[in-house]
Amino acid sequence: MAPLFQEGRCDGLGAAAAAPFRSGRRAFLRRLGWGATGAVLAPGLLQACGRGPKGAAAGGGRGGELVISTFPLYIDPGQPGAPGSVERFRAATGIDLRYVEDINDVRQFFARIRPQLAAGRPLSQDLVVLTGWMAERLNRLGWIEPLPLEQVPNARNLIPSLRHPAWDPQQRYSLPWQSGIAGIAYNIKATGRPLRGIDDLFDPALKGRVSALLEMRDTMGLLMLADGQDITRPTWATAQSSFQRLEKARRDGQIRRFTGNDYQNDLLSGNLAACMGWSGDVAQLALEQPDLRFVVPESGGVLWADVMVMPKGSRHRREVAQWLNWVYDPVEAARIAAAVQYISPVEGVQQVLAKTPATAALARNPLMFPDAAEQQRLHMFGPLSDAEEARWDERFARITEG
Amino acid sequence: MPKRPAGTSASPASLRAEPLTAETLAAESSKAALRRQRQRWQGPRRSGVQRRLWPWLLLAPGLIWLLGLYGLPLLALVPLSLSEPLSRFGLETVFSGRVANYLEVLQAYGPILARSLGYAVVATALGLLLAYPLAFAIRFRGGRWQPLLIGLVVLPSLSSYLVRAIAWTSLLGDQGPVLALVSALGLTGPLDALGVLRDGRLLNTATAVILGLTNNLLPFLVLPLVVAMERIDHRLLEAAADLHAGPWRCFVQVVWPLSRPGLAAGILLSLIPAAGDLVNPLILGGPNERMIANTIENLLLVQMQAPRAAALTLVLMALITVAVLLQLRGRGLEELPLP
Repeated sequence: MAPLFQEGRCDGLGAAAAAPFRSGRRAFLRRLGWGATGAVLAPGLLQACGRGPKGAAAGGGRGGELVISTFPLYIDPGQPGAPGSVERFRAATGIDLRYVEDINDVRQFFARIRPQLAAGRPLSQDLVVLTGWMAERLNRLGWIEPLPLEQVPNARNLIPSLRHPAWDPQQRYSLPWQSGIAGIAYNIKATGRPLRGIDDLFDPALKGRVSALLEMRDTMGLLMLADGQDITRPTWATAQSSFQRLEKARRDGQIRRFTGNDYQNDLLSGNLAACMGWSGDVAQLALEQPDLRFVVPESGGVLWADVMVMPKGSRHRREVAQWLNWVYDPVEAARIAAAVQYISPVEGVQQVLAKTPATAALARNPLMFPDAAEQQRLHMFGPLSDAEEARWDERFARITEG
Repeated sequence: MPKRPAGTSASPASLRAEPLTAETLAAESSKAALRRQRQRWQGPRRSGVQRRLWPWLLLAPGLIWLLGLYGLPLLALVPLSLSEPLSRFGLETVFSGRVANYLEVLQAYGPILARSLGYAVVATALGLLLAYPLAFAIRFRGGRWQPLLIGLVVLPSLSSYLVRAIAWTSLLGDQGPVLALVSALGLTGPLDALGVLRDGRLLNTATAVILGLTNNLLPFLVLPLVVAMERIDHRLLEAAADLHAGPWRCFVQVVWPLSRPGLAAGILLSLIPAAGDLVNPLILGGPNERMIANTIENLLLVQMQAPRAAALTLVLMALITVAVLLQLRGRGLEELPLP
C-alpha cells in the first residue's frame, strides 16, 4: 500500500533544447516531487485547499475557465523565453486554464473525490487524467460523462492501437493522455550484465537491491507474463503462482521495496540495481546516469494508458473540447511527447519530431514509437470485476504491506 | 515563577522526626511545594457559585476542542467498526454488529501490531539510553549553556519529520556515509551476523526504522527528564554529600529515584507516537517493516474497508490506553513533569 508515492509518472523536463540545465533542474524537480509527497500525507489539508464548486461556476469572460487535475511533471514545462503548453494554450484561447498537478496516486485521488461524486455533487475539476483502470472504475460507477468529441475534430488523430479500449468500446468517455510500458529498469554497472527477463529480478545476486511497483496491474502483469499467462483476461486462478512468487520474494528480502515513481531516486543513488519501472522515466534518467537501461522483458511488457475523462457535472464542456483538440494536434502533442518521452497517443507526432534536428533522435526511440514487432510483445492488463478487484487488492496489499 | 519567600519551605523540624532519606526529603518538599502552588492558584476569595464556575469557564475551550475533535470522532469509530460497507465504493455502511471485523483484523494484522509495539519499545529503550545521560549532563553540567543545550535538543523537531526521514535515506543509503564507515571499520560482517544489517544494507531494514523512530523521540524523552531533574532540590545533593555519599551513591539514592517521574513521563510521551508512526516505516523500512499505521491507511484508502480500518484503530487505541494505565499505575498525574 503505501499509496503515498505512486503512479505519478513523474517525468518531464524540457525538450532536448534545454540540455545544459537538464540534470540540475531534473534533480530539483524530483526533490519537489518529494515535497509533494509531504502534502499527500495530509490529504485532509489538501482537501481544505481545494476549490469549492462556486469557483468553477464563475464562467464568463472571453474564453471561460477550465480546471484539470493530473499527475505531476506530465507535460512540457515552461522555460524562460519558451512557454510550455499550458501557457501557450492560455494565450491562444484566452481560457483561464488551471492545470493542477495534484494526483500523486490515483487511489488516493479516488479517495479524495469519492465523497463528492458519491453524493452526486460536481467536482471543481472539468477534466481529470487517470490511469485506465481507474477511469474504468469511475465509468462503472457512473461518475463520468461523455466527452464533447463532436467538437474535437483532432480526435481522429488517435493512434489505432489505443482506440476503443474494452471498457469504452465506442470511445465516448475517454481519450488517452499518454501511454507507456512497464518493464525492467536497471543499472548495468550494478548488475554487471545485461538483464533480459523478469527471472533476472529474482537472481540471488541482486538480493535486496530490487524493487517492484505498487501499481498492482503493472507488477502482476509482468509476473504473469513471465508465468506464461494471458493478462488481457486475468483470473484469480491464473494469478496465484505469481502472487506466491511475489510473496516469497518479499519475505526473503529479495524485493527491497514496492515503489511508485520514487524508484527513480533509489536507482540513481545506487540503492537499487534493478527494478520494475516505466519507459519514459528511464529515458529521462539515463541522461543523468548513462549506465541505466530499460528493457521490455522477453516474456513481454505491460502496456498502460492514462486517459482524460470528464467527471460528472463538469460545467465547461466547450473549454474541455478546446483543450482536447489542442493536445491532439500533432505539433502540440510533439512538444509534450518530447518532454515526457512516453508513447504519444497522437498520430503524426513521429513525423513532427523527425523533422526537427534537435528531436530527430526521439523519433527513432523504440520506447516512444514501438514498431509492429515490438507491439506484439506489449499487452494491456484486462478488466477485473468489482468483486475480483477487491480480492486482488487485498491479496496484493498483504504482500506489499507485510 | 516568582521567588519562593524564605521560611515557607518544609520545616526542618518535621524532617527530623522521620528517618532522613532522600525520598522522604523529596516527598516532603514536593508536597509542600504543591500546597503552596494550590494556595497561589486559588487567589482572592470569590462567592461560591463563581468559584465553582470559574474553572469550567477556563477549561471550556480545551474541553470543547477535545470533545469535538477527539472524543466524538473516536466514539463514531465504535459503531463504524461493527458495520459492513453497503457497496465497495459507496460511502454508506450498515451497522450490523459485526464483531467478526475485530477477529479478522486481529488475525490478519496481529503480527504487524506486535511488530509496531516491539519497534516502539526498542526505540524508546534506545532513546532512553541516549536521553538520560544527555538530560543529566544538561541539568548538572550545563551551567549557563543549559538553555542553549535544550534548544539544540529541540532544534531538529522544528523541521518536518517527513523531511528528516528523507534526509536519513541519504545517510543510510547503500552508498551513504554510514555504511562507508561501517565497512571501513570492517564491521559489515559482524553487524550482518547480529541482524543489525540485512545483506550488508541498512536502508529499508528494521534497524533504519528504529533509528528513525529514536531520532524523532529524543526530545520527548530529554525534556521531561530535564524538568524532573530540575525539580531536584539542590540542598538534597548537598545533604547527601555532607553525609559522605560519593557521587555514585548520590546518583543511585538521590538523583535516580527523583528523576523517575521524568522517566515515566518520557516513556509515555514517546511510546504512543512511536507505536502509531506512519512515516519512518514507509520511508526507512521495506515491506517487511511496515507498522500498523501503514496498514490502517491501506485498509482505509486502498482497500476501502472503513469498518475494518476502524476496528484496527480501536484495537491500537485500546492497547495504548492499557500501556498508559500500566505506566501511570500508582502515580498522580501532577507528579509527572509533562512539559
